[in-house]
Amino acid sequence: MMWLSWRQFRIQALFGAGALAVIAVYMVSLGADIRDAYDAYQAKCEGSANCAEARSQFRGAYQNTLLFLAAGLALIPALIGTFWGAPLVARELENGTHRLVWNQSITRPRWLLSKILLIGLAAVIVTGAAAALLTWAARPFDEVVKEHFETFVFGARNIAPIGYAALAFTFGTVVGLLLRKTLPAMAVTLVVFLAFQFFFPNVVRPSLMPPVKATLPMTVEAINGAQNLGSIGGGSVIGGVKIPNAPDAWIAETSPLRTADGKTLSASKFNDCLDSPPKTGAGGTFGDTAVCLAQHNLHVDVQYHPSSRYWSFQWLETAIYLTLSGILTAFGLWRIRRRVS
Amino acid sequence: MPPTDSPPAFQAEGLTKKYGRRGKPALSDVNLTIPSGRVIGLVGPNGAGKSTLLHLACGLIEPTSGSLTVLGSRPAANASHLARVGFVAQNTPVYGAFTVAEHLKLGAKMNPAWDPPLAERRIGQVGLNPAQKAGQLSGGQRAQLALTIAAAKRPELLIFDEPAAALDPLARKGFLQNLTEFVLELGASAVLSSHLLGDIEQVCDYLIVLCDSRVQVAGDTRDLLARHARLVAPRGEFDRLPAGIEVISVEHSGAHSSAVVRTDSEPEALHCQAEPVTLEELVLGYMTRAAAVSVARTEAAVRGAQR
Repeated sequence: MMWLSWRQFRIQALFGAGALAVIAVYMVSLGADIRDAYDAYQAKCEGSANCAEARSQFRGAYQNTLLFLAAGLALIPALIGTFWGAPLVARELENGTHRLVWNQSITRPRWLLSKILLIGLAAVIVTGAAAALLTWAARPFDEVVKEHFETFVFGARNIAPIGYAALAFTFGTVVGLLLRKTLPAMAVTLVVFLAFQFFFPNVVRPSLMPPVKATLPMTVEAINGAQNLGSIGGGSVIGGVKIPNAPDAWIAETSPLRTADGKTLSASKFNDCLDSPPKTGAGGTFGDTAVCLAQHNLHVDVQYHPSSRYWSFQWLETAIYLTLSGILTAFGLWRIRRRVS
Repeated sequence: MPPTDSPPAFQAEGLTKKYGRRGKPALSDVNLTIPSGRVIGLVGPNGAGKSTLLHLACGLIEPTSGSLTVLGSRPAANASHLARVGFVAQNTPVYGAFTVAEHLKLGAKMNPAWDPPLAERRIGQVGLNPAQKAGQLSGGQRAQLALTIAAAKRPELLIFDEPAAALDPLARKGFLQNLTEFVLELGASAVLSSHLLGDIEQVCDYLIVLCDSRVQVAGDTRDLLARHARLVAPRGEFDRLPAGIEVISVEHSGAHSSAVVRTDSEPEALHCQAEPVTLEELVLGYMTRAAAVSVARTEAAVRGAQR
């Protein structure tokens, strides 16, 4: 049975191996570049006041490339589900060859399981290797920038992509088994899996562990440490605040700016500070606005995950994806025994 | 002949299959017992339910209700039962990207009782090049390859779904001849469906006529021929037939009518002119009756809907 699974998979396997080789060559050269740039940044930093500038220069040089690569890595499981998973059973059903192969002396569940194990393993290896290469290449950058929890970055490092690959592949296989047509199965797999990959990090991931709650006083310093004030929809909001004693923490939720009695700062007061703050000549990111807002004695309530939880999150997410993949496999084996043709 | 205590090749009770929830049954209330060691012909018009019956028999689909055992066990119950049944599907699907030799390797890898010399000899006899891709084979060659794969696993029962449908007359003749040789060589039972009576007549010793999702008649071909007769009599005479004679179909021509009848006694004992029937007349008789019943039922349904 392994012979047949391999014989039918070998061209796709060759393609996967070729793609992985290209990725590896590129990642190794990128990793070397990043390491050179990191050394240069370290040299500039030593005993010099230009450290912040060198840091932002280093960050700027690789941020877009690495973000692009993370997005590319996120596509690998989706493509595996689409091109390896969806046609696996659907193509047999479409060509009628299931009537040939399912009448050999091997039961349908065993036939399917052998295919899922072989190709699933290949899917995990290809994705896992690509993720390991990217993790290695980006390591100096990640250490400097410390955005481990950023949606794309988290999903493109370490072990999480292995879970994605397993789920995408088994999902595609089951969709093909149910829809029985290759092209619709491929389309459904791609769209639904990508939608799930958007849904999971934004909705499920933050609540995988109960977040830590904290109240942050909005001093002038704290406001200037944030990234943005206000929003397109209006409202007295602040974004990208830092937790003073845990600067690398992942902030899952930030409340609007609140006054001492716990009420949200009124929009008119917020806009006054934003549009026409009293001139004080203060510096910082938000200058006079920060001073004006701080005078209202504001605070925000945040929910966050300390950075020490990073690996717990990686393992949890991988385990959840692998479990879902296992459930889909079990369903596929049950379904192919019961209702086919 | 196999010992009489071996389980029937095929036994169905109340076998019914519907596709979808509201669909018309593709097979309804089929009761059949077929002894092993036979070459069984399953004949009926297109859409009669022949493929459905054969797919049920090899476990590709499951019955909606009723029961079916093949060689004494649920179809495709486990790997060892799969090994006992060989199936050649309609249009004889093969893997287009595999060579002929790779198909034999597939058979060898997936069947514990695979017979490599048999497979190679057959491939050689029908002139298939082992290095050729199966996608480039003609319909006849593909059918031969599919037949070889099904036979070289040495099954006890070989099932063929319209094996000759896609073949030209010459290829068909050769294929059916091969098939008969195979069945003899393996000592297996075989079921073979066709909408062409000629194919069936050539190779089968047991006949099932399937029309309109029901079995119309089934039995040993010689018994069937002995128990049916063609009667020719003046018009109206068939209204007064003795007990034990059932009219299957009647044709009127001028003042005389000609009928295919089924009789429990010897046809010679009938009072009017009786002739033996050919297998074709017999099958056509049952098909005509089934078609008439089907039309009547549709009309009744239409009238019911109008009311």
